Amino acid sequence: MTQRDVTKLARTTAAAVMLVLLAAVWRHYQPPNRNIAFPAGEIRIGVDGSYPPFAFDEAGNLAGLDIELGEAIAGEIGLPVRYVNISFYGLYDALITGEVDLLIAALRVDPARTNAARYTEPYFDDGLVLVSAPGNRPISADALSGVAIAYEFASRADSRIRRWESDGHVIARMPYELSTYALDALRLGQADAALVDAISLRLYARERREWQYQHQFVSREPYAIAVRIDRDEAFKLVDRALSTLKESGEVARIVAKWF
Amino acid sequence: MSAKSSLSSPVKDAAKRQRQSILVIIGLLMLFALVLRLRPAPRNLLPAEARVVKTAKPHVCAHTLLENEVEEKKILRSLELVRELGATTIVQFFPWAYAETRAEHFSWDRFDRIVRHAERQGLQVIARLGLAPPWLNDDPDATLNTLPERDDPEFAQYAAAFAARYAGTVDEIIIWNEPNLSFEWGYQPVNAERYVRLLQETYPAIKAANPAAVVLAGALAPTLEERGSSAGLNDLDFLRDMYAAGGGDYFDALAIHSYGLKEPPSAEPAENRLNFRRAELLRQIMLENGDGQKQASITEGGWNDHPRWAHAVRPSQRSAFTVEAFEYIEANWDWLERLCLWAFRYPADLNSYPDNYTLVSADFVMKPIYYALQDYARGWEREGTLWLPPPETE
Repeated sequence: MTQRDVTKLARTTAAAVMLVLLAAVWRHYQPPNRNIAFPAGEIRIGVDGSYPPFAFDEAGNLAGLDIELGEAIAGEIGLPVRYVNISFYGLYDALITGEVDLLIAALRVDPARTNAARYTEPYFDDGLVLVSAPGNRPISADALSGVAIAYEFASRADSRIRRWESDGHVIARMPYELSTYALDALRLGQADAALVDAISLRLYARERREWQYQHQFVSREPYAIAVRIDRDEAFKLVDRALSTLKESGEVARIVAKWF
Repeated sequence: MSAKSSLSSPVKDAAKRQRQSILVIIGLLMLFALVLRLRPAPRNLLPAEARVVKTAKPHVCAHTLLENEVEEKKILRSLELVRELGATTIVQFFPWAYAETRAEHFSWDRFDRIVRHAERQGLQVIARLGLAPPWLNDDPDATLNTLPERDDPEFAQYAAAFAARYAGTVDEIIIWNEPNLSFEWGYQPVNAERYVRLLQETYPAIKAANPAAVVLAGALAPTLEERGSSAGLNDLDFLRDMYAAGGGDYFDALAIHSYGLKEPPSAEPAENRLNFRRAELLRQIMLENGDGQKQASITEGGWNDHPRWAHAVRPSQRSAFTVEAFEYIEANWDWLERLCLWAFRYPADLNSYPDNYTLVSADFVMKPIYYALQDYARGWEREGTLWLPPPETE
């Protein structure tokens, strides 16, 4: 092979590489194709219908926040939706085997699942919230010593309080059987603060519209939609649809309806 | 000595010295790499002396999930807590995928660790076997529950190897899990004949490896699925189908899954209801098929106390129902050896309602049910309460 041949081969190879790169860039910026993303012509969503208010049976039909969110996303993408009701244990396997296209099932982002699933941006946060009475300076997670905190025994809040104690805070612990009792104790002035999950607080406050409180998140537990890791087109469509719905305020409206 | 060799000698020596230097440098680099890899010897966490379970109720048992536990000290702590609970036995999952990491190459270290610790805590072990290795199936849609029938002999080989290795220590083995659910076959259709063929392949292999082994079959999911459902088939019809397919010859005892859901343990059973005493309907099918001499164990069961799950009860109800269930067994079910509660502890939170099946949280907080069950198993009377009474809201 002469020097000229080598130069020619190098140029040809470089040109081919450039073409491939250009094609990849062009492909990346192409709008996702819903026919490729959902070849069945519908979006099959795996839900857990035993988890109110996210999904539950209402007179033989599925209802709840996750169901309405699924409808809104399918509407945004422009395809009909079909729900597949699966217990929590089978959700991710249903996604892996292609029984469903995505999961909207009050799923917290789970790092252990990221080899099989890709999560959208969150649509809800069920982190722990430290709730206190209004008017006073909010009780902060940095200054808890001497604070009487009501919480549900053996819950996530319980674990968090034990961790704070191991960090040196001397907390006046007030364990209750249920988080509603902990919030009762705060509302009735028997506790300085209550530590509960965000859903418990929302559900409690929904039933007591006159009750005033302030709160701050002390942990983040994002709920997101899961798509199979290799379903790139589907992921793009769902994530974009969710972003659009969040920007338009539709997600906030759906959440507010159920809490 | 020739002139040629005398001339070339200094050159040869230099080359030799150069080779030696390179070898020394390589040797030093290898030594350096070896030093970098050195770690302190792991501390032996195995208690020096064997412990004994102190219990008044030998039918108390818990399902552990230690197969995914990374830290040995957490395995030790979990099993210590099981023993202190007063449970005599654990059901433990030993996934095939974890042992046979490539064809016919078994790696037992993880299982050895669990079995050694259980033995040292004085606990009996019932092994649940399942979960196919990924190398077995290159279908991208397959899950670890996918087991094509052609691979049944491979599974039997694993079961036999397991039975032989732990003979005398682990002598009760459950074949597969909830085979009446399509999820447990990688979302393939379920049928009892298929499961019976797996038993036919596996049962003799286990017996040949450990003649004293007790093979448990079933472990059926309590469900009301009708024939033709894509999700599976109800446990009662599935067991009837197992007998019809000749499955009765290929197990020594029945593994039962019995969950109370929202009903107390005394609630009457019925074919169209899911509750704790559904186990009696499975027992009746055993009797109808001439298997009355065989024992059974509930290898999964209990109640859930998640605040929002539709099928959960309150924490105090969960504690009370669970103890009542054990009392009910003592009084009424002489054919049942144990009730193994699902689940003792998860290595990490699942972040949903299944977390509220556990007796101990992932970070080792004992739940009310743990204390209630401990009082029952050990015959203790505990003073004081774990939580405050509800605030007076009126």
